[in-house]
Amino acid sequence: MFGRILRKSISKRKSRIAIAVLSVIIGASIATALLSVSMDVSEKVGYEFRKYGANLMVVPETDTIEVGFPGVDFGTVTEQRYINESDLWKIKTIYWRNNVLGFAPLLYSVVTVENEQNQQEVVLAGTYFNKNVNILEPYSSEDSTIFKTGIQVISPWWNVTGRWIEDPHDNDSSMVGINVAEALGLEIGDEYIIRYIIDYENNSNIKEYNLTVVGIINTEGHEDNQIFVNLQVAQNLTGRPNKVHTAQVSALCNACPVDTFAGEIMDAIPYTEARTVKQLVSAEMNILGKIEDMMFLVTIVALLASALGVMTTMTTSVIERRKEIGLMKSIGAENRKIMTLFLSEATLIGIIGGLLGYGVGFILSQFIGMSVFSTSISPTVEVIPIVIGISVGVSLLASILPVRKAVNVEPAIVLRGE
Amino acid sequence: MTYEIVKIQNVVKQYDKKTRALDNLNLSIKKGEWTSIMGPSGSGKTTLLNIIGCLDSPTNGKVIINGRETTGLKHNELTRFRRENIGLIFQQYHLIPYLTAVENVMMAQYFHSMVDEKDAIEALKRVGLGHRLEHVPMHLSGGEQQRVCIARALINDPKILLADEPTGNLDQKNGEIILELIRELHHEGHTIIVVTHNPEIGDMGQKKVLLVDGKISFKNNNYGG
Ligand SMILES: Nc1ncnc2c1ncn2[C@@H]1O[C@H](COP(=O)(O)OP(=O)(O)O)[C@@H](O)[C@H]1O
Ligand SMILES: [Mg+2]
Repeated sequence: MFGRILRKSISKRKSRIAIAVLSVIIGASIATALLSVSMDVSEKVGYEFRKYGANLMVVPETDTIEVGFPGVDFGTVTEQRYINESDLWKIKTIYWRNNVLGFAPLLYSVVTVENEQNQQEVVLAGTYFNKNVNILEPYSSEDSTIFKTGIQVISPWWNVTGRWIEDPHDNDSSMVGINVAEALGLEIGDEYIIRYIIDYENNSNIKEYNLTVVGIINTEGHEDNQIFVNLQVAQNLTGRPNKVHTAQVSALCNACPVDTFAGEIMDAIPYTEARTVKQLVSAEMNILGKIEDMMFLVTIVALLASALGVMTTMTTSVIERRKEIGLMKSIGAENRKIMTLFLSEATLIGIIGGLLGYGVGFILSQFIGMSVFSTSISPTVEVIPIVIGISVGVSLLASILPVRKAVNVEPAIVLRGE
Repeated sequence: MTYEIVKIQNVVKQYDKKTRALDNLNLSIKKGEWTSIMGPSGSGKTTLLNIIGCLDSPTNGKVIINGRETTGLKHNELTRFRRENIGLIFQQYHLIPYLTAVENVMMAQYFHSMVDEKDAIEALKRVGLGHRLEHVPMHLSGGEQQRVCIARALINDPKILLADEPTGNLDQKNGEIILELIRELHHEGHTIIVVTHNPEIGDMGQKKVLLVDGKISFKNNNYGG
């Protein structure tokens, strides 16, 4: 009987209920947009921000190599000035390892490049492009002992004409910075010779090596002045097996201070120093946080609007149905029953409004995703129960006053002519 | 054995400083009696009916219905007492517009205890509405609506039937039908209290009470006692 009363009373007042549902949709859709965007985009934002480069730099202790401006003279080579390539996997063993998105080793050297027209000194950088690194026991997770990483993983935004070097054992290919390519007139497919001088003082003991251009890099950064090859090419050419100068680490971590991150890497590879690119990281967090704060405020305002809408329609309903409420009471309905009737209506309004609001909000989140983050937002299932919960909660809260009004209707009004 | 099913002792109802709707009123009604309450507009008839029907409480005095003192009962206790003891017939019928005739009756069952559609249909047949079960109030005539209201008032076997101007909104013919029904109910032994302006209807009661300014100015028992 209760269900029949509820159903019929609602279907007789469709337009009024529709207004209440519409009010809920406003808040629910904004809440959906906020939740979808922040859940889905926080990941994508991380990707966006990674565009600006690695946010941690691992260097050998006491070493002072400037990133992108490697010292021309490395002087006498000591163990401490390099990181062992064979230790790099340990970066992926720290406590926050799941937040390590990737790393790329770099071994720099200065070479002379020569072709028909020209000759120039260029920095040669040996690195991983996209390499499977073995994570050793006991740190390897059960499902994966292999970590795919390299410069292509941490810097996927590089503007590359031609292609990346796919094979880590490819010893002939090179990717050339756009400035280098222009200065030397190099194009994709061109072969060229690099010379590496082992003994600078005597300008003797020169090693020559043939490379092919497979890709031209345009990053508008220092990479444009460099030539990139597989790490082992650089190591073999310069006679420094298993050595790298630095490792760039890309990490995104909402829950942990990046200093902790750096500290843990230093613990994992004790002879290194990990430097944070602090401003960059805090900017990441700042923008993420600011976007969420702003959307949170908008959501609160929208939910208040919803509550107001529901409250107004419910109050009007109660006033319109005064006689009906009085009648129910006069024939024996206790306050609890009247309350249940109206709160059930509010709950239904919340559920319907929440569901429709989710739909609208999802579309809204696509607009936000496209215009702010240039990405589409994938639907997050967890958002549905949360949004419906919020909608029902708002609807019920907004009904407290109107329901009180309903409960206070005097049964005696049924006998009074009006 | 007849006993006094309604006992009203020194009842005062003061709405505000100026309005004293009932002024130290005393009244007893026997079980099975038909009482007519008459009087000019504003004399306190409805107020008295509200107090007997446990829809309202007096400012002062004592009200005993079916042996139970109702003054001092809490709101929900009063509601429960009302649904066990009182059947209400209104001048404006007060049917729920979105429910059918039978659902309107079933709603009274629902608030009382349990819904029993068969009983509800029986009650409507009894008032001559067996052919109007699934009609909503909008599609029923005034007389038919009043009969649904009576069926609803009877469905939970109340001890006392209260009617406020039951024929006030009806034409002669429909009014007769309603009065005939009330007469039948009286013969079956129901205690009936009818507020009316109509002297003819007033004369149908065994007891006639004339209210003026919240006081009983005249009381007449058609057959002594
Ligand atoms: N809820 C109320 N608040 C204030 N005054 C009321 C209220 N109900 C009735 N009255 C007043 O009490 C008096 C008696 O009213 P009522 O019992 O309705 O008389 P009747 O039914 O005989 O016309 C009238 O003066 C009326 O104005
Ligand atoms: Mg009246």
